[in-house]
Amino acid sequence: MVCKLMKKYIALGAVLLFVFLLIPPAASAQEREGASSGFEGYTLVAESGDYRLYYCEPRFSILLQNKETGTCLESAVSDEKDDGANNKSWTGYMKSGIVLYAIIGTTNTYQVDMLTCKNNIKTSYTKNGLSAAIEFPEYGFALTVEVALEGGDLIVRVPDSSIKEEKKDNYISTVSLFPFFGYSYLDDKEGYMLIPDGNGALIRLNDKEGKYSTGFSRLIYGKDYGFEQTVAVATSELGKSFNFLVEPNEVIAPVFGLAHTDDRQGYLAVVESGDERCSIEAHPNGAMIAYNRCFAKFLLRDIFTQPLNNSNSGTVQSVEAERTHMDLQLRYRLLSGDDANYSGMAASYRDYLLGNGEVALKDTGYNTRVDFLGTDREEFILGTAAVTMTTVENIREMYGRLRSAGVGHVLTVYKGWQSGGFYSLPISGYRADRHIGGTAALTNLIKEAGAEGYKIYLYDQTLRANSATNATTFNAMKMVNKRTYKYESRDEVYRLFYMLMPAAAGNTLRKFTESYINKGVNTLAIDGMSNQLFSYSSRGGYYTRTDTRNAFVNAVASISEKCNLVLEEPFAYMWKYADAFLDMPLASSGYLYADEDVPFLSMVLKGVIPIYSEYINFKANKTESFLKMVESGIYPSFYLTYENSSKLIYTNSNYLYSTEFASYEKTVSQYDAEFSALAKKTEGAFIRRHEKLENGLVKVSYSNGVKIYVNYSGAALKADGIIVKALSYEAGE
Amino acid sequence: MRTGIKRMRAIAPLIVLMLIAPLSGLAYADSETPYKTFTVDGYGRMRETQTAYLPLYTFTRIGGETLNLPADLTVTDDGYLYVADAGNSRIVIGTTEGEFVGTMGEGHLVNPRGVFVADNKHVYVADRDAEAVFEFDENGALLNRYTKPASPLYGDTLSFLPIKVVVNKAGIMFIICESNTNGIVEISPTAGGTFLGYFGTNFAATDLRTIIYRAILTDAQRAKMVGNIPATPTNLAIDEDGLIYTVTRGDGAKTLKRLNIAGTNLFRDGAEWYAGSPTAVAAGNHDNVYVVEQPGFIWEYNNEGATLFVFGASDDGTQRVGLSSMIASITVDSNDCLYILDGDQGRIQVYEPTEFTKLLHNALCLYSKGRYTESKEPLTKILEMNSMFDYANRAMGRAYYQEENYETALRYARLAKDYDGYSDAFWEIRNIWLKKNIVLLIFVIAGLWLAFRLIRFWDRKKNILEKPRAVLGKLREKPLISNILYANYYMRHPIDGSYGIAAEGRGGWAAPSVILGAFMLEYVVFKYLCGFLQKTVAEGSYDFFSDFGGILAAMFALTVCNYLVCTINNGEANIKKIYTYFCYSLMPYILLVPVLFALSHVLAANELFVSLLLRIVIYAWALLLAVIGIKEVNNFTAGETAKTIFLTFFTMLIMALLCFIIYVLWAQVFEFVSSLVGEAVYRLGM
Repeated sequence: MVCKLMKKYIALGAVLLFVFLLIPPAASAQEREGASSGFEGYTLVAESGDYRLYYCEPRFSILLQNKETGTCLESAVSDEKDDGANNKSWTGYMKSGIVLYAIIGTTNTYQVDMLTCKNNIKTSYTKNGLSAAIEFPEYGFALTVEVALEGGDLIVRVPDSSIKEEKKDNYISTVSLFPFFGYSYLDDKEGYMLIPDGNGALIRLNDKEGKYSTGFSRLIYGKDYGFEQTVAVATSELGKSFNFLVEPNEVIAPVFGLAHTDDRQGYLAVVESGDERCSIEAHPNGAMIAYNRCFAKFLLRDIFTQPLNNSNSGTVQSVEAERTHMDLQLRYRLLSGDDANYSGMAASYRDYLLGNGEVALKDTGYNTRVDFLGTDREEFILGTAAVTMTTVENIREMYGRLRSAGVGHVLTVYKGWQSGGFYSLPISGYRADRHIGGTAALTNLIKEAGAEGYKIYLYDQTLRANSATNATTFNAMKMVNKRTYKYESRDEVYRLFYMLMPAAAGNTLRKFTESYINKGVNTLAIDGMSNQLFSYSSRGGYYTRTDTRNAFVNAVASISEKCNLVLEEPFAYMWKYADAFLDMPLASSGYLYADEDVPFLSMVLKGVIPIYSEYINFKANKTESFLKMVESGIYPSFYLTYENSSKLIYTNSNYLYSTEFASYEKTVSQYDAEFSALAKKTEGAFIRRHEKLENGLVKVSYSNGVKIYVNYSGAALKADGIIVKALSYEAGE
Repeated sequence: MRTGIKRMRAIAPLIVLMLIAPLSGLAYADSETPYKTFTVDGYGRMRETQTAYLPLYTFTRIGGETLNLPADLTVTDDGYLYVADAGNSRIVIGTTEGEFVGTMGEGHLVNPRGVFVADNKHVYVADRDAEAVFEFDENGALLNRYTKPASPLYGDTLSFLPIKVVVNKAGIMFIICESNTNGIVEISPTAGGTFLGYFGTNFAATDLRTIIYRAILTDAQRAKMVGNIPATPTNLAIDEDGLIYTVTRGDGAKTLKRLNIAGTNLFRDGAEWYAGSPTAVAAGNHDNVYVVEQPGFIWEYNNEGATLFVFGASDDGTQRVGLSSMIASITVDSNDCLYILDGDQGRIQVYEPTEFTKLLHNALCLYSKGRYTESKEPLTKILEMNSMFDYANRAMGRAYYQEENYETALRYARLAKDYDGYSDAFWEIRNIWLKKNIVLLIFVIAGLWLAFRLIRFWDRKKNILEKPRAVLGKLREKPLISNILYANYYMRHPIDGSYGIAAEGRGGWAAPSVILGAFMLEYVVFKYLCGFLQKTVAEGSYDFFSDFGGILAAMFALTVCNYLVCTINNGEANIKKIYTYFCYSLMPYILLVPVLFALSHVLAANELFVSLLLRIVIYAWALLLAVIGIKEVNNFTAGETAKTIFLTFFTMLIMALLCFIIYVLWAQVFEFVSSLVGEAVYRLGM
């Protein structure tokens, strides 16, 4: 009996052993080498429906192959593609799948890569990718990078807990993950890199002939005010007295893209985590080396200047005491075939946002945006006097005039409504200035106009504090060097502004909204919190941009439950709270290396949230701006006053040089007629495809089949049997 | 070197207050351009305005040809660009779109610094290192080579280093030569180059110090001084009418000159704002002129030399289209597109005028030809786009003046701060008013006179004014009122009045203080509310704090210092008396300024001498009263008085110095404490 049983067990054991021997255990690298790929040094590690993922351990490089076409995206320059024209350091950079920069003491120029630095790498394999624990013993650094191929997405992640800095005075400054993913040499590939500059711009993968020494490198969500005090760098006497320079656009969305149009392959990369402190890098060939590349560079720790006295004559360089703690995560949305272009990238990003609840579909019905300035102050006998530009009664009158001109829907952001005028900041309660008619009158107007489809949103800057109108010393934001951050203006009335700390700003906003909602009105336009992000220090503590972001999101989220919010140029993480996106840039910053502008962000958001333009009454070229808005599905915005703008000459608002309603009345109703007709055709539809035709005509195809053709040239052009007049547009089915 | 600084007017402090740092998020940055555009308003202040020119494109090479340290460029009416490619010793010809057409001058040129294309398509090249000006024909064949003129008038010891050249319709060359300070060399093409003389010579600036040095130094010492020689023009241009524009670095308001054939500068007043480091100048198509400044600024001036626009900026390292790193030259094509040569980067940036600028050019053209009424249409559109564009306001005012719509002209002139225009319109309005109301005015005056006589007559008969007189009499007896009224007596009889102060104890503290208060009140009322033509402060700006503070501080210093000096000189006055006579001396001001104030509202610009005269009377009288006060109340001789006055001012100077030193010391202490705290914050990581 027992014997029989024993036999049975032994047989079973033998079978099990046999089976065990037959099936390879979850892969050792040695065995992987066997499953060789035809790519030198690479082994296959994962496979999805459309792609194969290969891995080269010594360089920590990956290679992604499209199964159908066989085309590849590689993350480090292979030896055969090495042009041999670069020094050791650059070669190390180019051939390494991960590049760190180290701070030693207070110098941050130490490059740490897989080739030039001693390293230990231990890879374990998962069912759809790998996890590599990498150590750089020379510097005492260690981190684990996880790579996973999930359907059409490639996810690269460094868990925060795996990042170690174990040697004294050696710190990780930046981490670049796969900085060469999808690289190309000079004009080897056709295609472009998409950069999130302004509305969107492309850097073509053509031979730049060494014309540009650098490429695109901007921090996502704008500069960190906690590190930078804005100081005018004057190169001449004239530049000292006046600031002629306009800052380039900030990066609103944490994305970049790459398309090889000849291979019909590309990706849209989304920085999913760590985006608060990460820069988008896109460098064309000629910028130091002959390769085109785009990537995300995470910033963990920075150096700042600590002044020791007021004149800033004595300073020391310091390193942040604590690094930023966040997972670093990138998601490459892989695109192929007809989707491997910027239209595909926009659609992919839109799907991603909708799928993850990062945006919700809002009412995208058309409104003409007509903003008003209520009142500002000018100097007068030991104090200031009101300069009232647009009262509540004025608005009522202007609304009447617009209505009789046939303007059906208007969205108004009312600025400078608060007691004390536009620069009486922050706004801590619902108190309208008596010069515009007082609180009760304003409440009535908002209610009455709202009932008739004219929505008024009260404007709140949320973050700025005026040292002359409010006592703000204790709430003023301090930079990482514990100095109070100051905005300085060269205007005549108010010269010094502070930034509010997130907690104080949140409380002030909550207080204001409570008193506002109590009056039965709930429409609000928020600026500041929607488009600024900074590190700061407070009472010995140091707070990162992640803390600030959380504070702002909490504040905005909690009031968005009770209020209808429109947001001023909001960063991507604020989009879900916005009923409208205000001040969408119409163009890019015009970098020399960027070859063309594309309306990327409008393509993402058209049909999701209504998008309103920058103010067009300050545009010197009206026709071109008009066509740009038609092209990108953006609604027009005006900033107007009832009185003539010359009244503002002695106020801080003196930059408003052209706002009188009477001058723009006709334009508003003309624009309203044109755009509302156009909006009806595209209502609820997404932009499917945006392309520049051979003859220069721009063709925008919507998901409901509507096509819009825009002609920027001075001669009539024809496409698809439709003739478009010079400097005009046509809509077709 | 002072650059870009306007000649200060009375409102200078306002400009000084325009401080540092930009304010992110305050102004609407138009993302289409990486720079802002400014204009100059009627007060001479820089104001932001619509973008005047948009960067169109940038080309770093012409066809396949790379430029190496290019020095100059010019564009022809038919659309060809000629670039002096100095580093490659040639002229590169391309289209305005950057397509390569050809080269010229290889083998002849060494270091071409300037290029000019004449109407007959001949190309003139100023070559510094070849020490010659070359003339090529359309196809690049060398026609002439002009070297150093043999004429003794040129100067034997001077070398001939041509860097820029322009040629007028008669073929006469105007050449700027490096380190030749005599002026622009004018050479006629006849007989292989005839030297005609020097043209448009700049003048050496002579300041007071140089004059004093020259007077007192010996010849040997003078020889050691840095030579005071005029600056050589940096660049030049010629317009359709043959007028020559020059820019000279470091020539202050006279940086830009518009010279007629006789070499006379037509911009007599100079520009309000000027480029500090100009590198090139180009004549526009509408009597306008462009100047570029090395760091990246582009200026446009009108036919009177007033600034229309300034725009552009230095590259901040972001490499954006429209920013420059070192501008070498500018040229304008027939469509008003600007071509700007960046010498450092070897690239050409093209800017095109916006709709706004096109309107302005249109108006400019009509206005300068005197077609005022026609110019109103584009001007109206400009003002619709920018109601604060003072150039348009000014032109509009002039246009309405021509149409005899004086009220509107007055309004626009006041907006534009156009004093002449305002005065003219005001004169017309006053004239019309006078014509209409002269009869009524005479009746009113006559009526008043009659009423006065009647009352006096009745008073004499029935004593109707007895009661008021009694009340007034009682009031007069009150010491305060009596002492205030005594100031009036003092004004008319200062010597006798001084005796009253010295011996009878007239004055005191209260009465003079009332007078001082009245003075301050009148001072600010006059300063801020006088007629537009006499106003010295910008409209809408008020600074009462420093007005009052200044007067009080001055009075305090004067009284205290005078007291200190008087006491040690055996003066008989005590501090109360000193205060009294100084305050009483303000009486002429108090009585006459209302007249001045009234006059300021009725006088036109050419009658302002009346009010100037009145001012002189007021100040002289007040000064006289103060001097007599010092002399008589203290019982000084004339000599002692002079000494006292001198010493008083000296003491005030010392006092001011003392205050300054104390302030500086305190600032040091504050700085020290704050450094200490800063260090502590850093070390302790609070």
